[in-house]
Amino acid sequence: MSLYAYAIIDSTVGVEESIKGLSGAPVYTIPYRDIGIVISDLNAQIQKEDKKSVLKHEEVVEMLMDKFTVLPMRFSTLFSGKEQVLLMMKNYYDDFIENLDRLREKIEFGVKTIWPGDLIRERITTAHRKSDNLPLVASSSGKSFMNEKFENYKIDKEFEEEADRCIAIVDGFFSKFISEKRLEKLKTDNLLLSASYLVDNEKRDDFKKAFEELKSSGGDLKYMLSGPWPAYNFITLKHSGDGKFGGMDLVETVLQHKDPEEKDEK
Amino acid sequence: MTAPAHGRRIISVKGHTMDNPIKTLQDKKSYLDLRKQERVTLLEVLDRALTKGVVISGDIVISVADVDLVYLGLKVLLSSVETMERLRGAPIVGPMQEPT
Repeated sequence: MSLYAYAIIDSTVGVEESIKGLSGAPVYTIPYRDIGIVISDLNAQIQKEDKKSVLKHEEVVEMLMDKFTVLPMRFSTLFSGKEQVLLMMKNYYDDFIENLDRLREKIEFGVKTIWPGDLIRERITTAHRKSDNLPLVASSSGKSFMNEKFENYKIDKEFEEEADRCIAIVDGFFSKFISEKRLEKLKTDNLLLSASYLVDNEKRDDFKKAFEELKSSGGDLKYMLSGPWPAYNFITLKHSGDGKFGGMDLVETVLQHKDPEEKDEK
Repeated sequence: MTAPAHGRRIISVKGHTMDNPIKTLQDKKSYLDLRKQERVTLLEVLDRALTKGVVISGDIVISVADVDLVYLGLKVLLSSVETMERLRGAPIVGPMQEPT
């Protein structure tokens, strides 16, 4: 049997009412010092692509959001026993405290912006071809190959500059109401911006009004707002457990994991 | 410690039922819009829960391979963009899931 982890909370007690998690198992809290980790027991292996399980995970996390500051775990974080859970809590305690303090009373909103990137790229390409009098089909000579390369570079650069300009405008609508942001530019040619914003609870309505203003601003961009979410995008772990191993972090992690006899204090 | 105010919850999307028969074209359009929004909501959840949040690595966790989750996340992203582009013609009402 495994222990499935949903979230870290700033409480040692957890919820009073019973919440059902994956496979209908009751959710409970394992305390560590002044924080807790919300867990349920799991007998079966989670199917990787089981969307129902992911939704159930999210449902539990969002119920916790009503009462606590929550650091949501990534889906499918499992431990073989309580000792492993407590060892992890000990290793990550400072990280968890820093994140809980930083994210208290804050929520995450997502704003996605779609633009007609394929058409814009086409427009830029056509304009370049016309102004440089380049043949539309490159010849096979080396010089033409280099010209073509350079031309593509200029087109890409202009496309990115146009994207940056639009992103700055979109992002500007929200800057007054946010404490942190994560911007992902051009994940695909048509997904101009995938933004996550960390917003104080008390500024939630201001943020939503800003989104309405953005939508009304005209143009042929499309926008989607989602949220409030638990702050998935704003967890920062200095501990090497964020998946990025290297150097002393790796050495430290390996040494810690080689000490299973260590007893942890509650 | 004050709890966050109530707002959007994924649970509200699951509240949609098939009990009410679709009798008019307007009903059907609303139903299809809702289904589209449900799909986008699901993709937004997957995009977050599969690749973000507290990520514990190392021998201390039993978990699906990180590589698999990243690939799954990428597939989700591409689906998400395709779905959103299909919504281009449909009214996009935001905030998406705020309770009315």
